[in-house]
Order: sequence, then structure tokens, then C-alpha cells
Amino acid sequence: MKFSTRSEGAYQLIALSGEIDLHHSPQLREEILKTLKAKQNLLIELSAVEYIDSSGIASMIEGLQLANSSKLKFALVNASQAVMQVLQLARLDTIFPIYPSLEAALSQDS
Amino acid sequence: MAYPAALKSIRPTDLPMPAQAAIRILQHCSQAHSDSNDLARIAGSDPQLAAELLRVVNSAFFGLSKNVKTVQRAVTVLGRNTLRNLVLCISVRSALQSETPSEIDITAYWEEALRRAVSARLLGELLHLDGDECFTAGLLQDFGLLVMFVVLPQHASAWQKMCQLDPDTRLAEEQTIFTMTHTEVGAMLGEAWQLPQTLVDALNHHHAPDDTEQTLLSKLLYCVDWIAALYNRAASTATLERCSAILATHLDISQQQLEALLKQIPAQVEAAAEALGLNVSAQADLEQILRDSNLQLAAANLSYQELTWQLENTIKERDHLAAALNRELELAREVQRSLLPAAALQPSIAAINIAAGQLSGDFYDYFSLNDGRIYFNLGDVSGKGVNAALLMAKTSSLFHCLGKHIDNPGELLEAINNELCETSVYGMFVTLIAGLYSPATGQIQLVNAGHPPALLIKKGAQISQFSASAPPLGIIPNSRFPEVELTLTEGCLYLYSDGLTESCENDTPTTMRGLKGLLKLIAAAGQGSPEEKLNSIMSAAGNEQETLHDDMTMLLIQHAQSDDHHA
Repeated sequence: MKFSTRSEGAYQLIALSGEIDLHHSPQLREEILKTLKAKQNLLIELSAVEYIDSSGIASMIEGLQLANSSKLKFALVNASQAVMQVLQLARLDTIFPIYPSLEAALSQDS
Repeated sequence: MAYPAALKSIRPTDLPMPAQAAIRILQHCSQAHSDSNDLARIAGSDPQLAAELLRVVNSAFFGLSKNVKTVQRAVTVLGRNTLRNLVLCISVRSALQSETPSEIDITAYWEEALRRAVSARLLGELLHLDGDECFTAGLLQDFGLLVMFVVLPQHASAWQKMCQLDPDTRLAEEQTIFTMTHTEVGAMLGEAWQLPQTLVDALNHHHAPDDTEQTLLSKLLYCVDWIAALYNRAASTATLERCSAILATHLDISQQQLEALLKQIPAQVEAAAEALGLNVSAQADLEQILRDSNLQLAAANLSYQELTWQLENTIKERDHLAAALNRELELAREVQRSLLPAAALQPSIAAINIAAGQLSGDFYDYFSLNDGRIYFNLGDVSGKGVNAALLMAKTSSLFHCLGKHIDNPGELLEAINNELCETSVYGMFVTLIAGLYSPATGQIQLVNAGHPPALLIKKGAQISQFSASAPPLGIIPNSRFPEVELTLTEGCLYLYSDGLTESCENDTPTTMRGLKGLLKLIAAAGQGSPEEKLNSIMSAAGNEQETLHDDMTMLLIQHAQSDDHHA
């Protein structure tokens, strides 16, 4: 797993790539919680993610729950096929806000 | 004293001899009323000895304000006993000066000799013996070994190994290599150097401490041998226990006395080295060693045994904690097992759970309602370990308890979900398939909350998948959990956890088995009872990997009237 962070409008954006499994999830979780605890809205960019396991999903769910309770925005952007499959299989696509592009996510805001 | 010289490799004439003056001083010192004037006169007759005495007496150790210029004054300052020990050291040193094989580390030898001497004096004081005589005995105790190596240097390569042996083993090894031992050579030397007979006897017999004729000094030397062994690089707690036991047996010295004695050794070795004009490496004291945590120093010095004790205690404590934790986990596992149905409820349903760790995040359950229908479920808690196991226990218990009052799977999951959300830990959730099965009709109401699809395999290998119709439990309160209806009259319904599809197949260790692989295992299981089929599938899946990375769980409902031709 590789990740980079940057500011995008009112959001902090974490762009993930590669494989996200049990070894990488703690790092992802830490990054997500750090951003949300700094009271920043969060977008997760997933276009280059080749594989995500349940621990990666759990990190994102934790982020979503924390964002909801902190009245912050949390959304997934441009999820790759691999990610979408996992989300759809568990019907998690119904609970995460998912945008097809960064523009779509940002325009939702204005 | 007669030596069976013909059988022995070393004869008295082979021994290094001190200067004539030194021998006379040793002789004089052994007499009860030696006169310091005589001693001074003898010492003065040997210019080398005189110079050495003056050098030592003027060293910082004696801290004299005025320089001592005469041998007469030096002898008075030193006292008879220090003079004797000093003369011995000078004699040993000059005897060895040019002849020591290079394999032998002389500094280390002196260090050990002084440690023996100091230990002997400390023990002697505890036993009300003449401390200075004990010191001399300790100083010379091992000289015989050194002499054997000097006289027979062809064996020099054995020195290092010899120094690491415990006293008894070493003695046997000496016998093998030299056909004699340091006790005999030491006694021979003591006689040649005209040392007191009590000392010679003690040197000769100190390896036979059980001998009833034994003098206290001789037993003491045997104990000193074991104290010295504590400083071997090969020493262990076993050495310490042995040493402690030997001191208790032969000298009635307690463990506490031994510990107190060991603490005094470094400072005394340093002082003795200074008084005798010998170079030994710095004797680190206990506090300094512990402060530096310098294991290497510690291994060679006093606190070796202290550190061993500490280490041993730490290991014991760790093992103790690990055992306690294991017991706790085993108890938790037992509770987990008790949450799984005890025995096959009826022939149409079976399930297996194999935990990857001690605790499982997967679970399943089935139980009958009063009207004969059977509730069943199979779930997987996110994450692994104790937190997952606790959430598993909670979910399973909620299902078992609420299921008896809510005979509709969709409503049941709604209730469980709300309950879990109320007390949720963020990021933890449960994927679950639950259903209500009527054995009479084969009808099943099924709900899938975020779990991998259930598989209905009908006659003719026609496969239907029942994917999740709702997100997992414990994330969003007030979610809906739509049911599907299916009929089992012509097939089997398989529920499984992702441990089965996300583990790898044998021939493709980097690719996950996937649903395709699982279907192959199901097909390969052939005919049989639900239990037989599951056993076959699970053992095939388990055999394909060396260690389980995820829990694997599977539940199968096979309707009694089913012809089961899908395989």
C-alpha cells in the first residue's frame, strides 16, 4: 500500500494505491483518525487500489462512524473495480457516500 | 615426600624455583616468631627483590606520606603476611616471565588467582581461620595448573577450554592430558618452595573434601574452586546452585553469606592487586555493572550471578504471565465453544468452525423453535483476537436469545443490529447470514447482512447465489434486512466465511481460492451426509495451507428428501 495526502477544497484527501491488507490497515486507520480528529473533512481516493481486505474496509468504516458522530464529511472517491466489488458484495455501497470523481465529490459541497 | 616420578610427567626438578632470597623469606614468614630485621636483611641481599619491595610499598595503595627508602622500613610497613604474599607473587611472576605459552592470558590468570585469594580470605574470616594464610593458599591453589602448562607447553591449546570447566570436570581433564593434576603439582611446588606443611597438605588434598581426614583449609580451597567457577564464561545458574550447595555442605556457609561475600570480592581484588603490585583489569562493582547493563562485563565479573538471577526471574515471570494468559484464552475459547450448538440437531444440518488463532471471530448457530422450524446463522466479526471474540459472543448470544421470540429473520437482524449499534466500537462490525428453515417443507427465509453469498446448489449442479441485501450489523442503526425465500427440496444450502475463499490453493500459493475454488472443493466432496461433506471440504481446504491465516467456518443444510446429484 502507498498513500499520499493533500488538501482539496474543504477536504483533506488521502489517495491510496496497491494492496490494502492486515499489514497496512493500521497505518491507514491511523491516517484516517488523525485527519478526522483534526476536524477535517475527509475524502479517500481509491482508483489505484488493487485489493482491499476486511481490515481495510474496517478502517474506512471506523472513519465513517467517527465522521458521522463528529459531524464531519467522509466519502470515497473513484473507487476501483476491486474496491467496488468488495463494497457491493457486503452492501457497504449503501452506507458510504461514493463519488465517481473528485469533481463530483467537491461539487457536492457547494 | 616421595613422588612416583617415573609415572609422572612433571618432576620437582622441572618446577620453576624462586630466587634463594625469596625462599628464605617464605621460610622465615612461616615461622611463628620471625624477626623483621632478619627479613629485611634477607630481602636486602637480593637487589631485584629489594627494588620490588620498595616499588610496591611506595605505590599509591599504601598511601604513605613519605617515600620509603630502606628495605627495613618497607618490611615493617608491609607486615609479615603481605611480605610473604608479595614475595610469592614476585616469585611466580619471575618464574613465568619468559616461559609462558602465548595461549595463556597471564593477566586473566592473576585476576583469577587474586579472586581465589580474596575469596579464601573472606571464607577464612567467616570460619575464624587465619585470613592471611587462607589468602596465600587461594593465591597458590591453581598455580599448579599454570606450571603444568609451562613445563609441558605442547598442551597449551587446551588452556582456554580447561579454564571454562567446572572444578571437578577440570580435574579429570587434567588427569587425562597430563597424567597428573594441579593438586599434586601444587603440593610439590609448596614443598620445593618450603611453604608451611598445612598449606602444602591443603593444596594437595583440596579436591577430596569428603575425606574425613580433611582439614578445614583444604575444604575451604575446594569451595574457593567453586566460587572461582562462577566467573567462568560457561557458568550458569546451575553452577551457582552447585556452588551454593557445596558451601553449605562443607563449610556450613549459607546462601546469604555467599551473596554477601560475592559482593565484597571486586573491591578486595583491586586492593590486593595494588598491594601486590599486580595488574588486573578493572574490577567493576555491582552497581556500575547494573547501571551500564554491560552484559559482557557482567559475564566476566561479579554480577554474573546477579544478572542470571534477574534474568531467570524475568523469564519465570514471563512464563508465568504467558501461562496465565493462555489459561484465560483457553477459558474464553471454552465459552466460545459453548456458544456453538453442542450436537447435530438433526441429520439435515451440520457446521464446522476452525479457528486460526486461539479465539475465533467466526461463529455459527442453529436451534429449533417450538413449531419445528430451525433458526440458523453463520457470521464473521471484523478483525481478529479478543475484541472480535467478544463481539462474536455478544452477537451470537443476542441471536440465540432474541431468536426464540422473533420468528422472522429480517426483524431479528434488525433488532440485533440496533442492539449492536447502541454499544458499538467504531470499525467493528459483523457480517451475518441468518435463516429460518422448515424441515417439513424445505422452505427457507434467508437474510444476508454484508456476508459472502450463500450458495444453493441444486440437482444438476445448478448454482444460485444469495448475496447480501443489507450492510453488515453494527454499523448503521435502523437498517432494513430484506429476506429472500427459497426452497431446498432439490439441493443443498452452503454458508461459509471468507476464510474459505480468501485462503490460497496449494498449487497457486499467491492466488486466492475464490468462489470457484470453493465450488471445486464442494464438488469434490461428493455424496454423503452434511457432516461427511463438510469434513471432506474443510480437511481439503485446511490441508492446502501450512498455517491458517483466517478462521474457516462452513454450514450446510441438506434437505432430507434431496436427491443430491449436484456433484
